[in-house]
Amino acid sequence: MPSATLLGQALISGVLAGGMYGLLALGLSLSWGLLRLVNLSHFALAFLAAYLTYELGTTYHVEPWWSAMLIVPAMFAIGVAQHWLFDKFKVNELASLLITFSFAVVLEVAIQLYWTADYRRFETHYSTLSIKAGPFYIPVLELVLCLVAGVLAWGTWLWLRRTYVGKALRASAEDADIAAAYGIDHKKLAYLLSGIGAGYAGVAGTFIALIATLAPAQIWAWLGVVFAVVIIGRLGNPLGALFAGMLIGASESLAMAVLSPAWAPVVSFSVLIAILLWDPDWL
Amino acid sequence: MLLEARNLHVGYGDAPAVWDASLAVDAGEIVSVIGPNGAGKTTLINAIAGLLRYRQGNLWFDGVDMAHVRPHDYCAHGIALVPEGRRLFAKMSVEENLEIGCYLPAARAVRDQSLERVYGLFPILRDKRIQVAGELSGGQQQMVAIGRALMARPRIVLFDEPSLGLAPTIVDDMFEIIARVRDDGAAVLLVEQNVIKALGVADRAYVLEQGRIVATGLPDDLLKQPHIREAYLGV
Repeated sequence: MPSATLLGQALISGVLAGGMYGLLALGLSLSWGLLRLVNLSHFALAFLAAYLTYELGTTYHVEPWWSAMLIVPAMFAIGVAQHWLFDKFKVNELASLLITFSFAVVLEVAIQLYWTADYRRFETHYSTLSIKAGPFYIPVLELVLCLVAGVLAWGTWLWLRRTYVGKALRASAEDADIAAAYGIDHKKLAYLLSGIGAGYAGVAGTFIALIATLAPAQIWAWLGVVFAVVIIGRLGNPLGALFAGMLIGASESLAMAVLSPAWAPVVSFSVLIAILLWDPDWL
Repeated sequence: MLLEARNLHVGYGDAPAVWDASLAVDAGEIVSVIGPNGAGKTTLINAIAGLLRYRQGNLWFDGVDMAHVRPHDYCAHGIALVPEGRRLFAKMSVEENLEIGCYLPAARAVRDQSLERVYGLFPILRDKRIQVAGELSGGQQQMVAIGRALMARPRIVLFDEPSLGLAPTIVDDMFEIIARVRDDGAAVLLVEQNVIKALGVADRAYVLEQGRIVATGLPDDLLKQPHIREAYLGV
């Protein structure tokens, strides 16, 4: 049995790493839950944003925070353009899986053509910064990531609960015809939401560039675990996505500490199955 | 006339469910459309609400030809629907359901007054306002559906089978509310299987059978027609 300090450190690292799952799950959960579109290319968009951050940072020495100012709106535009295609071809839930999968593959190939299949690492002076709290180390970048993810999840949750646009989106997700009978133009709102979802992929991409090692095939690395997070967090629930992400992150990290690193991938799906079977009221 | 439908053909797929239907509702009127199950009543009212496109004929609302009005713009003209089966946003709270009713800017500007009016009409909804709509009883859900329509400050309220699935005492309340909706200034178009109730509240009525309007007149006159007595009252 590992020491309490080790377990505590594993818990902290896991929760912080789970922030990335939550951030990636956020955009996916919104479009799946509220538009009934499963956007597999969400991961590819996040990596495109990461590579752009890397490129701007290494070639032009642009700070990632400034890059994000450019990249996030660009991702928003891509999200809107994507939705134009979904709308034009009247894509349903199942077809969206297929179409966005192909879109992700095309993006992967494009990334590979431009940046090659080599591993890329965006070194910054703060990438190894950490705060020491008692016996524990808290990596600063992951902490900032979690704060950003928290602000976005909380803000999105409030937006969906408190604003007319948010309520209209939730109403449309339940019964689009009746929502339209009360004046809600679902099409217009869907464009906005698609843009926001892709914008969140852009935010995630900025952090991926700073935290992870980039390779085109990595696009698919988080797919399974983030899907589990989206489902555990309940479709269309931004705060749920974040909490589920941290739950999975913590479980993975504890499993690695207590058992062995090989167990990590098993954990997310075990938690998913356990929660689906248990089906607690508070979810 | 506030609402006028002339020779309306409406349908799903190849077979129209409503043939050549003409009807009119004037401001301040309660007009009932009665008919058996499957006569096309819901199809007709959904077309008037903008939920279904009509294929032929004309629909005018306050002089506006609705042919090119987009479904989500019907509400802005002053048409509000209380749909069959209520169709609430079941996962949203009572108050959120009501707020969807005042989504459009003009209605939103008077949200607070409208909300007071609805809670005045249905005091129980004030107590349940943060409860999830799907958890309410059938009668309470019907109140939310009516309240949602009133929040839009409509000039006509379309009621689709408001008595369906409700206990008899609650049905009486619903028809009282329908009369009050008119007293507050909106016209009412009502489609109903409950013939006695629907004719009791109406100023004029139409009989729809197999997708066609087969009779029209004052409720008392219709009640005297042998066919109506036989088919709907069983006497």
